[in-house]
Amino acid sequence: MAATADAPIDLDRLRRDRRERLVTEARAAGLDAVLLIGSAGVTYATGADTPTADVGVARPRRTVALVPTDGSLPHLWTWWPDGAPPDLPVDHVLPGLHLDDDHDAAALGTAVAERTGTGAVIGVDDRTWSLRRALVDLTTVDARPALGRARLVKTPDEIACIRRAQHLNERAIAEIGPLVAPGTTPAELTGAFLECCAGLGATGTVLDPVWQVVAPAVGAGPRSVTGDVAFPVAGGTDPFADGDLVWVDTGVEVHGYGSDYGTTWDVGAAHPRRAEQWSRLRAVLDAVTAAVRPGATGADLTRAARETEAGRRTPWLRHLYLAHGIGTAPAEAPLIGTDLGDEVDAATVLGPGTVLVLEPVIWDDGDGGVRCEEILLVTAGGCERLSAPGTPEAR
Amino acid sequence: MTTPTGDDRAHLDRLLDAMTAAGVDALLLGHEDGIRWVTGADRLRLTGTRPFAPACVVVRATRTAHLLATSDAGLPAFLDVDHVYGPSWDLVTLATRVAAVPGLARARTVGTDGTDPTVEDVLAAFLPVATFVDAGPLLRGVRRRTSPADRAGIAAAIGVAQRGLATVVGTVAPGVTERRLSGAFAGRIGRLGATMPAFATATCVAGTAPRSFPGERTLAAGDLVTLRGGVVLDGWLGLVARTRAVGGATAGQVSAAEAALETLRLVTTACRPGRPVGSLRARPDVRAVDGLGTDLAPIGADDPLAVDDVCWIEVAVDGVLLGDVVHVGTDATVPLTGVPYGLG
Repeated sequence: MAATADAPIDLDRLRRDRRERLVTEARAAGLDAVLLIGSAGVTYATGADTPTADVGVARPRRTVALVPTDGSLPHLWTWWPDGAPPDLPVDHVLPGLHLDDDHDAAALGTAVAERTGTGAVIGVDDRTWSLRRALVDLTTVDARPALGRARLVKTPDEIACIRRAQHLNERAIAEIGPLVAPGTTPAELTGAFLECCAGLGATGTVLDPVWQVVAPAVGAGPRSVTGDVAFPVAGGTDPFADGDLVWVDTGVEVHGYGSDYGTTWDVGAAHPRRAEQWSRLRAVLDAVTAAVRPGATGADLTRAARETEAGRRTPWLRHLYLAHGIGTAPAEAPLIGTDLGDEVDAATVLGPGTVLVLEPVIWDDGDGGVRCEEILLVTAGGCERLSAPGTPEAR
Repeated sequence: MTTPTGDDRAHLDRLLDAMTAAGVDALLLGHEDGIRWVTGADRLRLTGTRPFAPACVVVRATRTAHLLATSDAGLPAFLDVDHVYGPSWDLVTLATRVAAVPGLARARTVGTDGTDPTVEDVLAAFLPVATFVDAGPLLRGVRRRTSPADRAGIAAAIGVAQRGLATVVGTVAPGVTERRLSGAFAGRIGRLGATMPAFATATCVAGTAPRSFPGERTLAAGDLVTLRGGVVLDGWLGLVARTRAVGGATAGQVSAAEAALETLRLVTTACRPGRPVGSLRARPDVRAVDGLGTDLAPIGADDPLAVDDVCWIEVAVDGVLLGDVVHVGTDATVPLTGVPYGLG
């Protein structure tokens, strides 16, 4: 039987399994330790809780993780000690550092050198200038390829987190959806959504909720440099009006894992072409879903999508993707259908445990279009949908 | 729609003047809070940190900025679609677009706000005459000194945070969960147009140290509940922290609140030009003295305060948390926050 959104999440096992995956990949890449300062990587490596924050707050107060590949426990530098995972001994939880401050960065550099020894190879996911100066005597390489490989395959508890976040997001949308009407403002919708998500147990949001009124023709603005609809853009303040086409994109967090909920609303009566567009979107989703199985490549997915809409526009936004992974980052590997091109897609081979968010778009310039998102887990025999169906007739 | 600069290029001009003084020919900026300070662009807000990518280019020779975006949505009037370069997942394609920004190819000293090794190598190949330098001190110096318009933006953000806090205070009662208080804050500020909480609202029953994560804990009579709320409005941060007693304060709680307020006032009064921040942070019970604008900016311990700095001060005494945003004025340092400090 398919798991439900209430499936238990074993946080100890979640942390242990992730760290094991990271250490395995980092060791295979020849790294003696991984020093992480990016929020998605630190969450993955340690499970440390940090308050959801705008970049203007998150960047000056980074959480930092040093993960040795010899199997010993990570060290964590955090501004929020009550968010440290219980499996870290107290002497592994250290006060938060300002990584744009030479003094703090030098202290981190010294701590890293002491714990890894000279001559060690340290993988890093990002650097501030101060940190770069502090690590100048150590050998540092980009840790992101190893980190990406670790995150590509989700553990059962990660899948349970994504499922729970998505289910929570879907419930919140179901609750606030009826508010969408002429005269309601995007801010009112956002307020109701955030309040609802907090009440349901979300620990934060991934992005500002997007309720973007999209003009039915790209030429009507905003002026696009891609030829496609400019999406997503920051929320407007004007009330919704009868006939508005609204593209929705929201994400909330549970244990550091994001949901990704996309849909399309017509305010008032739907455009006459909308039903046909939804059924074409369903057809694209079904064709792509049918292609998802272990051994399939990203190119198999883009081909399935293009063939379903043969002779029409590429059925996704070309500055984004047809599909992306999701985990402790809102969009992570694999990215399929990007402007990196068919060769990269053909080299992207799916395996069991990878989670994909499909986000196709049907667009008929002049009549607008529809988008939605569905989340798939690649299984041994094919795939399983973790989200509710994204198209209305399938719900 | 208003933004940190509105349609005014005052910030960009201040930055260009500082670049001239520092001998910096161009800037490549990756951090969104800095980009919104410079350009006033109102763009989608995402949580958490991201590695450096060249998302904004400022060129001294042309005195203008270019932005990585898919359209002109949210741009101020002085930057049109010709100042937009499109995104790419391919670093080489992106570097080609960045290098094509007028005037950048001739820039010799190029400041950046991050040093991702892979990105820097690719950019270096496309900008062969450029030497990359740390733009952090230049940016911090320019951003720190607030103008009256900047402070009006910060005050508006604080206003929204305070109204959110008022809603939370109205919800504090025995039997209510911490999570519901957080939801009440998020709901109110969202309805007021501040869509992104500056940080997840911490509304927690006080313990021996301030807690950061609201949970399912239920408030009971006799509890102190710490309320820390932040918003981003038009790019500016607004923060406030207060503590309320659930069902009436005890004598001990009242004296803790008095001690916390005394510390907050002492630190506020001591935030004067020339004073190094480290000496203020070292006081007992002081939890934060940081710069505040479009980010919560660390001020180095030895860095003296200056006129028109705006700071976030947070103190905690025996479960009573208080936080104010203050302006270091010419004659005095005054709170921009205006919520009663008492526990009732």
